[in-house]
Amino acid sequence: MKLEIGNFQVQHVEFGETSSYSKGTLVINKKEALAVVMEDEHITEADIILTKPGDDVRIVPVKEAIEPRFRLNGGPTFPGITGKIERVGNGKTVALKGCSVLAVGKHWGSFGDGLIDMSGEGAKYTIFSKLNNICLVADTDEEFERHEQQKKNHAIRWAAHRLAQYLGSIVKDMNAESTELFELGPITKRDKKVKDLPSVVFVMQPQSQIEELGFNDLIYGWDTNRMLPTFMHPNEILDGAIIGASYMCCSSKWSTYDFQNCPTIKSLYKEHGKTINFLGIVMSNLNVSLEQKERAAMFVQQIASNLGADGAIIAEEGYGNSDADFIECFKLLEEAGIKTVGMTNECTGSDGTSQPLAALDVSADAIVSCGNVSTLIELPAMGTVIGELESLMRDGLSGGWEDDDVLGPSVREDGSIIMANDSMFCGDSVLGQSVKTVKEF
Amino acid sequence: MVKEIEKAGITVVQMANLIPVAKTVGANRMVPTISIPYPLGDPQTPKEEQWKLRYHRVGVALDALATEIEDQTVFEV
Amino acid sequence: MKKGILYLNQFFGQIGGEDKADYAPAIKEGVVGAGMLLNNLLEDAEITHTLICGDNFMGSNEEEAVEKLIGFLEDKEFDIFFAGPAFQAGRYGNACGLICKAVKEKFGVPVITSMHEENPGVDMFKKDVYIFKGGDSAAKMRKDMPKMAKFGNKLLKNEEIKGAEAEGYYPRGIRLEVFLEDKTPACDRAVDMLLKKINEEPFTSEMPIPELDRVPIAPAIELSDAKIALVTSGGIVPVDNPDKIQSSSATRWGRYSIVGLERLGNKAEGAYKTIHAGYDPAAADADPNIVLPLDALRAYEKEGKIGSIHDYYYATVGTGTAEGEAKRMALEVIDYLRNDGVDAVILTSC
Repeated sequence: MKLEIGNFQVQHVEFGETSSYSKGTLVINKKEALAVVMEDEHITEADIILTKPGDDVRIVPVKEAIEPRFRLNGGPTFPGITGKIERVGNGKTVALKGCSVLAVGKHWGSFGDGLIDMSGEGAKYTIFSKLNNICLVADTDEEFERHEQQKKNHAIRWAAHRLAQYLGSIVKDMNAESTELFELGPITKRDKKVKDLPSVVFVMQPQSQIEELGFNDLIYGWDTNRMLPTFMHPNEILDGAIIGASYMCCSSKWSTYDFQNCPTIKSLYKEHGKTINFLGIVMSNLNVSLEQKERAAMFVQQIASNLGADGAIIAEEGYGNSDADFIECFKLLEEAGIKTVGMTNECTGSDGTSQPLAALDVSADAIVSCGNVSTLIELPAMGTVIGELESLMRDGLSGGWEDDDVLGPSVREDGSIIMANDSMFCGDSVLGQSVKTVKEF
Repeated sequence: MVKEIEKAGITVVQMANLIPVAKTVGANRMVPTISIPYPLGDPQTPKEEQWKLRYHRVGVALDALATEIEDQTVFEV
Repeated sequence: MKKGILYLNQFFGQIGGEDKADYAPAIKEGVVGAGMLLNNLLEDAEITHTLICGDNFMGSNEEEAVEKLIGFLEDKEFDIFFAGPAFQAGRYGNACGLICKAVKEKFGVPVITSMHEENPGVDMFKKDVYIFKGGDSAAKMRKDMPKMAKFGNKLLKNEEIKGAEAEGYYPRGIRLEVFLEDKTPACDRAVDMLLKKINEEPFTSEMPIPELDRVPIAPAIELSDAKIALVTSGGIVPVDNPDKIQSSSATRWGRYSIVGLERLGNKAEGAYKTIHAGYDPAAADADPNIVLPLDALRAYEKEGKIGSIHDYYYATVGTGTAEGEAKRMALEVIDYLRNDGVDAVILTSC
């Protein structure tokens, strides 16, 4: 399969008469863009607010992030979400780089939502402070979940994906400024030179623990809870086959944007043919019961070993009981003789003394640690809030609280906040961007 | 918590789904449950079946409290 | 000018050798012996006093020795405390660890010592005290003391601490996140680590597997006359959550009477519910007995399999709970269990 992504580097976004792109400037016709959003009658009100790196802006509650893209065969950017299902990852796709569409609640937050500061001390905690953000701020008629801590956030998220596709379509007929090429042929038909290199699989464990449909990561629109591990081509992940979930503690979250830009896949591609034979993706998930965890790990071990993998990188979208899935897979891969490296974040408490992972095993001797979800972060007020600041403490976000005996409320009267890294939007970037690690002190 | 209770000399049995986590945490007597959201009764099954499962596993837990062990032990249900 | 105090044993305190190991705790003004080296290396700080105690005295009368030594310090003003270096001397290492820990707890000042990795004092005290990696004999004094001094200077000046490995002390079991100076992203670190592992080259994991802490096995009990208590971390509480236990990162727990209750009523009945945010609450709200199996336990009580059920059950929430908090809550619950003569516990978690 061969995927060619044509990139357009967005430096500046503004509203204008005609949606267009020229030399780094993206112009959006707000009316047209909102029409795409309002296609779903469940959206009761919506606005698009623009913000860029360096702005004195705080955004919360952020539910999803998506890179604007369009597939040049005219098919849906996110099959199963913005259109019918069809295979992705083979062909040409255009992408607006340097920007993202953010799905933001006008009022209501949920457990898995997060926060982004576009400047100041808080900016370093998320990569999204470095992007031109096109914030879709909306409210919906989803009364059934209005006051629930866990929300599906369906209307807002689907609208944001539609908006991302619409924006991507702006450049569909233009010549890309630069191109990224991702080509990986069928495993048994590769050159001998490549086949002689150590074979590597990337095992991905997206979040899928909620048993009711509508919360978990989706693959071609199918709930990851309802699947056993399978084999996928890396281009599928890079080209919109998977979208993010709505319930994961936010710093651990893999947003749609993270999947589309998956740095670990890109790094493996870079090494392919040089130091490794990148076989592809073993797509697993994260389960609730012990038996499900063991069954999924068995499948991961079977697929990886029968493909002939010599090595594996495994990444988990979560912590807590998900660590059991992570460690179980690690153990079984090592038992099959597959040299494994794990990517995860830790939960060591605000004082750092708690055990890093809920489950441990001596076989997990090679881990890249991306952050500590419990880190306490105190930040000053920001000039403007996109969304609603109170949601951080009121709506049950995993890293915010209404009142704490020692720390007080997450949101103070003067607009300053105290929160846990747990709710920094995609803060730990476990899919590969994280420039954080965890050290002994 | 289970470790502290045992350290204080009070015999304790942990009923949990994630046995690997219970082991890592240091529990000595463990009895598996069927899942995280519904450890002792699957709501998709009839009440009578849920009761049977719960009664049985609690019985195993009680027997675990009455059993001498040498090492961390997961009791069979 | 900041003030520091140094603890030495009878040998380094220039009292005598093994023959003076019973030397009782004493305090001297100014520096003694190796304290001079430390004093010279401190910047903008001075060693004002030296505590001396014989290794045997400390070893055989720990409580008394520490009490006396702390007593000497009560009217002294000081900003930092040092002990040793103890090299490979076991009794000395134990003494350094003990006094450092006691000083830290009583006075809240930073405490620093140094020992060879095989000194048993390392494992015993590394979690409580900064113990610097030291040499195996007094010949290494010129290497070990400067490390202690350097770090002392850092702490006194409030400079950024770069972590156990970078600074040179034994890991204390405290793991905190840092932003990497060279900004190497996780993807590159993972691929690099994988290539090294595949090619059987040495690599360093960013998360060493910690040693697991095990507790001695409590004895089996006689069920027929035992009082059994139910404890849960599944967050089952009365519907109004009277103790306002948090749904995540809990620091509170509750003790609820189940006298005369055959089973727990559910949320819809206005009786009990779950507040644990880490799992889907639907099943537990509909029937809390699936998390806290009171109904099953009552059946066994009626049958006479067990003596009785404790009048109260205990609950907290086990998601995101810091280990330190869980431990504190457990100790508080245990107090009640002990006072009420509970023989054994069934602990359910989700």
